[in-house]
Amino acid sequence: MTFEIDRRNLLQMLGLAAVSGSVLSQASFAFAQGTDSVTIGWPSDVPSWDPNLRFVPDAQPLFKMVFDQPLDQSPDLKLIGNLITKWELKPDGLSMPFEIRSDVKFHNGDPMTMEDFKYTFVDRIKSGLKLDIANSWRTLTDIEILSPTSGVMKFSAPTPTAPQWLAFLGSYLVPKKYIESVGPEEFAKKPVGTGPYKLVDYQMNSRIVLERNDAYFGTKPKIKRVTIDIIKDPSARTAAIQSGQVDLTVNIPVREAERLGKTEGLTAEINPFTRLILLQMRNDKGFTDMAVRLAAHHAIDKAALSKAFYGGAAVPLSVPATPGTPGYLPDYKFAYDPELSKKLLADAGYTADKPATFTLAATNGQFPSDFDIARALVQMWQKVGLKVELQQIEYSKYFELNRGGQLPEATLYSFDNATGDPEIFSGYLMNPKMPFGAWKGPEIGDKILKLFVEPVYEKRIAGYKAVAQEAVETGANIPILQSVQTLVRKKSLNYVKYGNAWVLGSTMSWS
Amino acid sequence: MRMFATIAKLLVKRVLTAIPILLLVSALLFCILRILPVDPAAMSLPPNATVQEIEAMRTEMGLNLPLYQQYGIWLNKLFHGDIGRSIHFRQNVTSLIGSTLPATIELAVIAMMVATVFGLAGGLFLFYVRGTRAEAVMDFVSILLLSLPEFLWSLFLLLIFGVFFEVLPFTGRLSPGFERPLVTGFLLLDSLITGNIPTFLNALQHMILPCLALGIALSPSLMRVLRSSLLDAYQDDYIQQARLRGLSEKRILIRHGLKNAILPTLSLMGVQFGFLFGGTLLVEIIYSYPGMGNLMVDAIRNADLPIIQGAGLTYCVAVLVISIVVDSLYLILNPKLRVR
Repeated sequence: MTFEIDRRNLLQMLGLAAVSGSVLSQASFAFAQGTDSVTIGWPSDVPSWDPNLRFVPDAQPLFKMVFDQPLDQSPDLKLIGNLITKWELKPDGLSMPFEIRSDVKFHNGDPMTMEDFKYTFVDRIKSGLKLDIANSWRTLTDIEILSPTSGVMKFSAPTPTAPQWLAFLGSYLVPKKYIESVGPEEFAKKPVGTGPYKLVDYQMNSRIVLERNDAYFGTKPKIKRVTIDIIKDPSARTAAIQSGQVDLTVNIPVREAERLGKTEGLTAEINPFTRLILLQMRNDKGFTDMAVRLAAHHAIDKAALSKAFYGGAAVPLSVPATPGTPGYLPDYKFAYDPELSKKLLADAGYTADKPATFTLAATNGQFPSDFDIARALVQMWQKVGLKVELQQIEYSKYFELNRGGQLPEATLYSFDNATGDPEIFSGYLMNPKMPFGAWKGPEIGDKILKLFVEPVYEKRIAGYKAVAQEAVETGANIPILQSVQTLVRKKSLNYVKYGNAWVLGSTMSWS
Repeated sequence: MRMFATIAKLLVKRVLTAIPILLLVSALLFCILRILPVDPAAMSLPPNATVQEIEAMRTEMGLNLPLYQQYGIWLNKLFHGDIGRSIHFRQNVTSLIGSTLPATIELAVIAMMVATVFGLAGGLFLFYVRGTRAEAVMDFVSILLLSLPEFLWSLFLLLIFGVFFEVLPFTGRLSPGFERPLVTGFLLLDSLITGNIPTFLNALQHMILPCLALGIALSPSLMRVLRSSLLDAYQDDYIQQARLRGLSEKRILIRHGLKNAILPTLSLMGVQFGFLFGGTLLVEIIYSYPGMGNLMVDAIRNADLPIIQGAGLTYCVAVLVISIVVDSLYLILNPKLRVR
């Protein structure tokens, strides 16, 4: 029996090849792009196009292109006016008069009014819709409208971070008239904001297409069309920027970013931003003894971790705040000193036969190199005589375990705070009534609770600085590194770098 | 006529069997997900929610009720077409699944076609070269193909055709600038219905790499089963008789050997299609393909139990439908089964 290719077989194969070839030949247009458009490879999608609905830090730059926040942040994270032009939190922290712009229009042409403010921050929340912003504005009782462009926010308790929250998660202005006419479900399908871009096409988990809002009240974006490809896999994002399918991408592995930075036509950055990598600590079990907690901290070589996992770009931290933010203590350093660790443990009565033991929990894949850092920590601790068991947990389980008091002694955790305000760093992490931190000790907890209602800014910041240092010195918190964002882009694409890792199409241009 | 009656009988029987299977799967899914140490009430609120707010949400969601009561409520809603509301997306699960399912079906069907073409062609070739040196080489190749999982194929193909040669796109279902027709949700079908040939071709391009990755990973087992079945079939007398009747080897293979040997391969294809339907998760993530696998990954990451339950049930229904289709094909292709 022989395998023969006869004339008919050959013709059939040629036909098939011709069809395949004609399909493949159309491939070139997949890479086309002009200077009036940009394609961004982004790692996650919005949970919904209703911006008040869910708090997802990585979705904020996407929302910010379609919607506006009452206040904004400059690239160095200072609060600046946006829809609100003037604001002043009263000394008692119970009210905040403000004024809004009169020249803002929604994408459908409706003018923005004080009614939209009241609707977004008060009426919508009270209507019973399950909105995440309801939790950030739970002390807001009313917005009193004084004139078409002025009003007063009224709070049931002092709310010192009200201005910060007007530029933070979920606080985007939505159109009252439009939502009331189409309903919230339809609004989420066809969102209307006041932002620099309009949403023209959206396919969940795949692509967002935005077109410039030519009636935008602020600085008009230079790029007319922004396409955001949702590429969740870091390898695929790396391939997309390398092949030119996207013009800019973020959060690819550090080594890949360094490699691509050397590629012709591309440039790479490793940018530290307002996200902490830290150890959440318990004040009981194997960590009842402060000496063990401090020994654990002194044993960590943070610079080595930064070099090994983030190309040395992640800044080693001594307090739970990032450089340049109000709560940061630039002159305070917690020493890396393994010998001191050993001494602390010996003085506390721990020996090689009777070592101090505890468990470290860590996620695997929640933030870059998380589990690798955890493994490195275990090795560093072993060197000073600490016996540590490593336990892997899912991020979704973190809050569940914490609420049930079931987290182990230490948990490797990443905490994002685009505002940089110390309330949302030390305050949230150490407040015993909030679910973010594992520390429930009353000495620090009571101080934090007082700072939550401290309306005087300077006093509040000074208080947080002091409590952050105290937390570190008593082993209530072990800050490790400032997190980094890797960014790779075409050399000719310019963008504005923000201290909180926002990447906004509205700031981009081609040179 | 008899064939249709037999198939109809089988359909009725299988649909009746499917009902208790679905009920059992739904109960298992419900119980397993409730036993998991995640709190849907806490997950549905922002992290700064208070313990009191979480407790209130738990009551509102009925999570404080006994498990059998929770299941009863859920089942009752299910019968009324309400699978629940997503915790993360705050949308109806039915509409989320409805909007992503067509993309996954399209991907799975074309991938299965690729697997079938490669599997049958490879199986026939393996059979042709039996007893020669080429058989050992082909054996080695098929084992190699079999040992690489689909996500490795995905990355490999992406690097070769997407990055190195830059001939194929590998993100999403369409390139920017292409109009996306919305009729049935099946993009290829919709672009044909609306006569939008550029969109059709572009969508087809986007499907090449993910379908190849899935199809290549499935094809070696088809090749090997077909080769074995053909070897078995060629031991039967009717092949020898066909040769004595002077039929060509090609005709014997296609008309007699393959027709009898295809049945085990068809069974395997049915099983594989079921696995394929539920196994597109990683490929969808790598290729940014907006299907149900991608949705499922989001749901798992956010402990979105209503979506996981809904998707689990959808997979179960799909597997049952596939098995009914395969059994019907069996009846059509094998007259002996109709007599029984």
